[in-house]
Amino acid sequence: MLRTTLKPYQPVGYGSLLILLFLFSTVCKTQAQQNSLYNYQQLSHLFYARQKDSIRKNWVCPVLYKEKETQKKYKEMWEERTDFITSSLEAKDFVHDKEVYNYIEQIILEITKANPTLIPTKPVLLLDRSASVNAYTIGGNIIAVNAGLVAFAGYREEIALVVAHELAHNILNHADNSMKERAEWFTSEEYKKSIISVLDSKYERLTRLKKVLEGFSFNRSKHNRYHESDADSLGIVLLKNSHIAYNPVYFLRLDSADIQYKQSLKQPIKNYFAGYNVPFEDTWIQKRSKGLSTKNYNFRDTTHLADSLKTHPECVERYNKTLSLSTTEGRELKIPANVQEQANKILIWNMFDNLNLTACLYRILLQKDKGNKDEWYDFMIYNIFSGLYYSDQQLNRFNVIAVKQKEYISKDYYELQNMLEQIPKESLEQYCKQLQNAPFWAAMNSDAKALKPLMNSINFETDISAKSKENAAKDYIANYPNSMYCEFAEHFKKK
Amino acid sequence: MKRILTLLLCCIVTANLATAQSKVFKEVNDEISSDMEAIIQDGALVGYLAFTQLEKVSEDSFNYKITIMDENLNDLGTVLFRNRQLKLQAVSFEQDVLCLAYLKSNIIGKQFKNKKAFDAVSGSQKNELVVDFLSLDGKVIKSNSIPVDIKVNFYPAFANEKSTVTGTLKKTLQLKNIPQKGFACYYADETANNLVLFGVEGKRLWKKKIPETLGYSLLTTTEDIYLLTKIKDDMLEGGHSIFSYGVQDSAAYIKYPLTDKDGNMLKVVGFGNDAITGKPYVAGAIIHPKKGNRFYKGKGLANGAYMGVYSINFNGRKKEDIKETFTYWSDGSKSPEISTHGKFADNGAFLNFDKVIRDYQGNTYFVGSSLERKPRWVSIGLSVVCLPLIIVSPYIMIASGTQKCRVKDAMIVKLNDKGVLSFDNTIDCNTSKYLRGAFPISYYDSKNFYPVSNSATQSNYIIVDDKKDIVIYNINKKKIARTIPHKEGNTRTSVYPAKEGHIMVSEYNKKEKYTRLSIESL
Repeated sequence: MLRTTLKPYQPVGYGSLLILLFLFSTVCKTQAQQNSLYNYQQLSHLFYARQKDSIRKNWVCPVLYKEKETQKKYKEMWEERTDFITSSLEAKDFVHDKEVYNYIEQIILEITKANPTLIPTKPVLLLDRSASVNAYTIGGNIIAVNAGLVAFAGYREEIALVVAHELAHNILNHADNSMKERAEWFTSEEYKKSIISVLDSKYERLTRLKKVLEGFSFNRSKHNRYHESDADSLGIVLLKNSHIAYNPVYFLRLDSADIQYKQSLKQPIKNYFAGYNVPFEDTWIQKRSKGLSTKNYNFRDTTHLADSLKTHPECVERYNKTLSLSTTEGRELKIPANVQEQANKILIWNMFDNLNLTACLYRILLQKDKGNKDEWYDFMIYNIFSGLYYSDQQLNRFNVIAVKQKEYISKDYYELQNMLEQIPKESLEQYCKQLQNAPFWAAMNSDAKALKPLMNSINFETDISAKSKENAAKDYIANYPNSMYCEFAEHFKKK
Repeated sequence: MKRILTLLLCCIVTANLATAQSKVFKEVNDEISSDMEAIIQDGALVGYLAFTQLEKVSEDSFNYKITIMDENLNDLGTVLFRNRQLKLQAVSFEQDVLCLAYLKSNIIGKQFKNKKAFDAVSGSQKNELVVDFLSLDGKVIKSNSIPVDIKVNFYPAFANEKSTVTGTLKKTLQLKNIPQKGFACYYADETANNLVLFGVEGKRLWKKKIPETLGYSLLTTTEDIYLLTKIKDDMLEGGHSIFSYGVQDSAAYIKYPLTDKDGNMLKVVGFGNDAITGKPYVAGAIIHPKKGNRFYKGKGLANGAYMGVYSINFNGRKKEDIKETFTYWSDGSKSPEISTHGKFADNGAFLNFDKVIRDYQGNTYFVGSSLERKPRWVSIGLSVVCLPLIIVSPYIMIASGTQKCRVKDAMIVKLNDKGVLSFDNTIDCNTSKYLRGAFPISYYDSKNFYPVSNSATQSNYIIVDDKKDIVIYNINKKKIARTIPHKEGNTRTSVYPAKEGHIMVSEYNKKEKYTRLSIESL
């Protein structure tokens, strides 16, 4: 029913896999500083171009309902899903890098091989560049794993648990069933009656309408509580069959996934910039505002978390439920450092390219706390300050800082956000210019080095017309067509 | 035939459901209305408040939602409640307490089919001013209700349409925080002008009737409440007085008519709190007793509508605490820098006063558009040539006038704390066309001015919102910090006040139909 022409399943021996993985990771480690993270052609809009067309062509909505209205609604949802996946591919949300992708692919292969009855066809994996600690199933035998999950997880088994959970959703057909349930509900007599009763009522129409919609979302939401528990149980069975250790503690660890910006830094903010010979004033990190953000407010929590593992049923509850199924003893494998670093770099670059600058910079400082001396992070600090300077000129500094409220972040994050908000333009310019002469450039690849003149053109070109920026971007793309940084240059190329 | 009928019926049922669904969403949406207010404390924006009327819950009551946002537009929380028809009037903030003033009515906002139906209930109308005090955990810590006398209007609609009852306070309510003490509220209904003081906990401390005035502006300090009032007067611009009342005892302390020693009326351009002392000051221009009322024409301004400028500081309640500075150019003492008519030699223009800024060094800056006046030589020449024709000459003079005016750059004039007046600078802006001198300046002066200050860096900016560009000028550094075109490609940019030292930039993309808001530091 759901067909794609994505890569077919090719079984590989587990033992040879480990050897391969070991060799691969060693090679990657030695080349990490020289090589780019991935090629521009590995971004989903190019890498999956054929598959995208194939999805559009082959994902045909099956006829399931006699009632035209229900079938029509189901078709609408089906097409929405097709649009979601194809537009995400086009928007470069995914990347087919070698290290991280292969690492997760091996986990999927292992689980698939060990569960041939439950998983007759290996699902297609997509590596999402999002920083959110999450994975998701789209339906159509596709599962996506976020780089944020790989960067956050400590053990291979942690990733395996999340992957197995998503595979269980696939096996149980939850994504498709959810679409069917919604189509049936929206065209049901019960729904029609409740909608008409809202219209007939003279008073409290909004409350009544909300009740109708709440009744719908309680039973048929994306993260239906019963669906999640079923996926947990089946996921653990899949792991057991694959002889992959399961430790319920993972649920508790994943519960903390949303509070990563609550981690403190090891040093005062000032120290992280000391090595770059740039000015720093303590007043920048102190909040000068007299606004309500500095007060002790305590309203009912009305915040809405983005889709993440947190949106699933309480992790503590899941921990308790699955405690008896634990199979941990001595079988946990640390995620190779190069894989984790690659995932981290993928999401840091993605955050920069999406102009989420404070969070991006904070992740770099957390890397520095781990003693990471990789010059790529210094290069990214230069990019971040250049991006901030550019955004300031475009009257967009506020949005790229993406001010978070103090209760959701650490004191250090708060200070860093204050700094990016309050650093004067002149000092920001100094940062950009000073960082251009920093020693880390010597260790960078030619394509990274070539970003310097592009940034200069964007920020300091006397000819302020968009044409000069466009020409600089075109030159960059022409000279480095395979560089991952073409993605950045593309923003300045007229479409 | 039967089949066709069934098919038709199916179509109608399906269409009805689709219509019902979209209709319910539309109707529910139409019932919702929202107001956005800036939350101000000590003259600085500290947050935003959205007041939303959600739905009607009975004949008289509605469900409401208050959304409180910080100065970065991040949601802090929401408060849901039920009440009769409310209209939010003003918001203020002090000591972690939000003060909200509403007009509550059992008749305003209601709909009636005809005058008879309206008359039947108008006798039992109940209008009140509700002042609520909300803590930062979303609880209403105190609610005050003051009956108000409002003139309600009902204009029957045509045919069977219903018409809505309208009505407002006689003068817009003003609400200001009093540092460390509470809130001062000034309003006027049909019966009286009232000044009410509330403690931070919401307790009503006193209420006082104020003499009838034409207009007013409210200022507060820790000790006193100041009111700028205008009594009925022939002078269009003058006729102001300043009154002060003690926060502690409600006693009247200052009654200061705004005139100079010779009785010349004073135009108020700025009435605010001094950036350093927090005490009130008033500043503006001294109105010429004879030429003063022609200020709105370019010709009138250039003929010497103003005699000079003044600045008055109210440092306390006693007479000796009031520090006055009057500087005249009409006596020729400032010539040749400033002519007796107020023409500045540096830019050859007159200042069309718009705003006053008091900086952190005690200097007072007068800001406005620069007006250039020139003789219409062609018109004058033609009139002279046509003089022998007797009738033609006056026609030419009437039709085109002898003078033409235009508005050029913005200009700044500085009055230092010692009373020395000097031309400070011009700000490059858009220039208008020359128009007849007898035309009102507002025909060709499209500049709007917004002062922005930053107490942390002790810097002052003036934002000139002109026809084509928005110019941000740093007064202390005497240079333009940024020029933002209003229109660039498909994007239309506007600026609004924001937290201290910042502006809110709104960019509307006409093509892609989205608005991007950003709060940018100056």
